[in-house]
Amino acid sequence: MSLVSEVLTGGIRGGTSINYAALGESVSERGGVINLGTEGSMLCGALAAYAVAAESGNLWLGVAAGAVAGGLLSLVHAYFVLSRGANQLATGLVVLFLGLGLTSMFGVDYVQALAPTFKPIDLPILGSIPLIGPIMFDQDALVYVSYVLVPVLWWVIYRSRWGVLLRAAGERSEVLTANGIGVLRIQYIAVVVGGMMAGVGGAHLSIAYTKAWFENMVQGRGFVAVAVVMFAARQPFKVAAGAYLFGSALALSPALQSRGYGINQFALDAVPYVVTLLALILLGRRRANETPEGLSKVFDAPTVA
Amino acid sequence: MTVVTQDGSFDRVADAGAASPSLAERLDRLTGVARVLAAFLAALVLFGLVMMLKGVNPLTAYVDMVSSTFSSWDSVGDILVRSTPIMLAGLAVTVPARAGLINVGGEGQLIIGAVTAYGMSMMVDGRLAGGLTLVLMVIAAALGGAVWSGLAAVLKQVVGISESVTTLLMNYIALDLMYFLIYDRWKDTAGSGQPTTEALPISERLPLVGLGRLHGGIFLAIGATVLISIVFAVTTWGFRLKVVGGNTEAARRSGLKVGLLLLSAMAVGGALAGIGGLTQLAGAEFKLRPGFVAGYGYIGFLASWLGRHRPVYVVLSAALLSTIVVGGDSLQIDSGLPAASVNVLMALLLLMVFGFGRKKVTA
Repeated sequence: MSLVSEVLTGGIRGGTSINYAALGESVSERGGVINLGTEGSMLCGALAAYAVAAESGNLWLGVAAGAVAGGLLSLVHAYFVLSRGANQLATGLVVLFLGLGLTSMFGVDYVQALAPTFKPIDLPILGSIPLIGPIMFDQDALVYVSYVLVPVLWWVIYRSRWGVLLRAAGERSEVLTANGIGVLRIQYIAVVVGGMMAGVGGAHLSIAYTKAWFENMVQGRGFVAVAVVMFAARQPFKVAAGAYLFGSALALSPALQSRGYGINQFALDAVPYVVTLLALILLGRRRANETPEGLSKVFDAPTVA
Repeated sequence: MTVVTQDGSFDRVADAGAASPSLAERLDRLTGVARVLAAFLAALVLFGLVMMLKGVNPLTAYVDMVSSTFSSWDSVGDILVRSTPIMLAGLAVTVPARAGLINVGGEGQLIIGAVTAYGMSMMVDGRLAGGLTLVLMVIAAALGGAVWSGLAAVLKQVVGISESVTTLLMNYIALDLMYFLIYDRWKDTAGSGQPTTEALPISERLPLVGLGRLHGGIFLAIGATVLISIVFAVTTWGFRLKVVGGNTEAARRSGLKVGLLLLSAMAVGGALAGIGGLTQLAGAEFKLRPGFVAGYGYIGFLASWLGRHRPVYVVLSAALLSTIVVGGDSLQIDSGLPAASVNVLMALLLLMVFGFGRKKVTA
């Protein structure tokens, strides 16, 4: 396999967990809530999926458990932010700590456990398309689900009634209130759906990508997801592209090492974060205008409680 | 009096003119403390329930935690050793927060501070007296932390991206930078093959103060607290930061150099965290190794929010949280739970305080 196609294939594989989480975070942010606890939801999703898959032997049950666990943790974020008026950014980090602690407490039993894992499926016809086929269509089932999810989410956000309500909740919530529509309920749903998708992202990480569970295994991917959402301006297709960009940067290190390049592994490990930062810098200013108005208030809110 | 125009003292002077600090104000503060205590109790109860899910008796676990954490003066010293970088990392959040900035980069700034301090020690290479080298290391750590955090402030100003996200990403870059050095260039070749640097010479370490392993770094933390409190209360800079934090647009229109103020707040924060990294290096660890700052930057973030960004409360919160962290060792030894379980207790405590520690405000 050539270096480019290896990096791109790995980019999709490694970027999928971030893709799920970032798509979820887009929903949440469209509703006006930023959730740094995405990292925690991914952790909870990763553990729940791994544990349930190990106990039941059923991968999809594992994915469902991951979604539930991620959603439950984000419900904590939603409650404190939406119903108790706590600072969104600080609460998100605290929620991450909660997820980190809970998963290390309840995850110890699964560190060495064996669980079934997703295997790549070479799709007929699609898989034989030159260049694209082996990169995109020799992946696991959760990757294929994410291919479908991206346009579906685009449709939901831009074309469905719920999408209009969601965007209105994030941009001009008073309009909804004036029309007798409950903003709070929409925002709760947005945050929890976001957390569920982050949970599925975590599930992909544990039962498809690393094929293991260990403490703090998400390693900043949740934060990267938040950054991706920012430079991709909460648009599903761009979010997916951003996630694969990070995934490709992640795949660069093993690809180069297997070819015997004598580059320090840790210098390469920093590349994905540097790439994310650069993408933010290059695309950041242009995107700032596209931030939902309700969300910009979060960044300007006084930090002194 | 000129101080009348400054932050904080304005209220106090006005109050003194009327009567002693008003009773209502005092009661308000008291209920504030009472609310926080109640929140702490609630967090303990909730964490107890979580422990029961793991089949651990919470009462025994708490008793073990308290008795092993406060078993001797040495263990009190241990708590303060852990508190030191957490206090400084907490202040590193507090100063930018006054200007409305959210610095989540304490972890990376601690690491960079330690790395630049170690680099300074290598550069001097024993050619100067130990004490002098240590001073240079403090300066290097402060500068390193300031540059690292300042970058986030510059990016916010120039490109308009939130410092909360950039500082988070830079934590991972800082960590990889340290790994790069300790696995490669700075690796102690005479060591046991572990990825660590050589230990600092004894003359370049912070002196012990006679309470177990407690070192002089605690005075740096306390000194910084006092200094920041004074700066907040009486200096123009401290006052301007508060104005910027309260309403950036109003500050801009009244002619304040907002960009410079934000940059300086962030840089001072990073410098404090950098010094925190130095205390961990020259006081506790003596060499750079993986897990060197063990999440202290993030715990400092929690401490700053727990203490509502008031310096004295922040360092007290840092001491409380590091006590909980030390208690985590007992959870591991006595109750068989992973040490990271205390993250749950810390998170619950913060959530209770965020949600119920004050009267509800609408977002």
